[in-house]
Amino acid sequence: MPIISFISLLLGGFIAGTFGALLGLGGGVLLIPFLVIILGVPMHQAIATSIIAVIATSSAGAAMNLERRTVHIRLGMLLEIATVTGAILGGITANYLSASVLAKLFSGLLFLIALVMIWRARQHRGQEPIYTDGALPGSFYDDADRKTVQYTVKKIPAALLVSIVAGNVSGLLGVGGGIFKVPAMHILSGIPMKAATATSNFMIGVTAAASAFIYFAHGHLNPFIASTAALGVLAGSMTGVRVSRRIHGNMLTWIFALALLGISIQLYLR
Amino acid sequence: MPESISISYDARHDAECWTGRVLRIGVWVSASLMIAGLLFGAIYPSTIVALSSNPTLGNLVMRMLSGSFDPVTLMFAGLVFLMFTPILRVITAVIGFGVERDWRFVFVSSIVLFLLSGEIVYSIFIKG
Repeated sequence: MPIISFISLLLGGFIAGTFGALLGLGGGVLLIPFLVIILGVPMHQAIATSIIAVIATSSAGAAMNLERRTVHIRLGMLLEIATVTGAILGGITANYLSASVLAKLFSGLLFLIALVMIWRARQHRGQEPIYTDGALPGSFYDDADRKTVQYTVKKIPAALLVSIVAGNVSGLLGVGGGIFKVPAMHILSGIPMKAATATSNFMIGVTAAASAFIYFAHGHLNPFIASTAALGVLAGSMTGVRVSRRIHGNMLTWIFALALLGISIQLYLR
Repeated sequence: MPESISISYDARHDAECWTGRVLRIGVWVSASLMIAGLLFGAIYPSTIVALSSNPTLGNLVMRMLSGSFDPVTLMFAGLVFLMFTPILRVITAVIGFGVERDWRFVFVSSIVLFLLSGEIVYSIFIKG
């Protein structure tokens, strides 16, 4: 592999991982456009590479969240039945779709993500509603408020339905799917934001693994591209988590939401 | 806190810690294999064996068992180990729920494991 390709992949993965962690997105959302538009990697290979990067960052992040006890393991396992089913179907479907159809679908996804980011940036955070009359009780210690937060889960069937969609998008387009799961868990099921984010991140690795073997079997996994980009994304996401504690994210969210809209249009027109 | 609840809470935290360890070890082992493959290939480019661009799981296992640790095999081994890491996490959860005697969630996590196993079998079936 030429040294220039190696450096581009490592650096691109690092930047995608850093900003992905800063913005609360998986690295894949930024990695796939970088691989396809800048490096000219075929769409299916870019998706397979992103899936590998998603497994790496999710596993590393979930290990940390499990020690902090912010993950609701039981809810995660239950919703994984839906995300894994969706991801397997997505992985199988993706291999029957052309690169241009996948690029257009990914462009639509980026557009949706940009709108969700703008919506979140405009929201004023108030007191989170906590429900105690649902199922699967959970709790975690909130470092910021210095108190133990106890909660239950409401509307599990609705969360399962959204999880099938999240898993399907993950398998089809190589992203984590947290953009669907986190709002569903928080808004529909009444799970505190920290627990919803940690539980979604915990689930993403298994969801991605569900389609990874299908991409591998179809020969879309290039060892040089996947290894280099995954290592870059992994290092970048670790850096992003550290930096995120020190910077104010709202302006960054706006800039990246507008950038994603631009990338979305460029991918659509390709 | 009553003793029974305390024991259950400790067991639950132990299970969470074990699951976290499995994920952490999985990431480090696979990252090490990928780094080793990339470094090996950069230092000794002549050792890069052109594995077919589309190897099977069986190919990889056979190459590793025969001691052929060329750069491409090392990288693929790292990637495949990483792909198996979340599956190991699900197996740990099945065991963890079993230790807690939470049979309902042993069943739930077994379904996830069954789906993932089915996907691997499907992949082997389409690829060989």
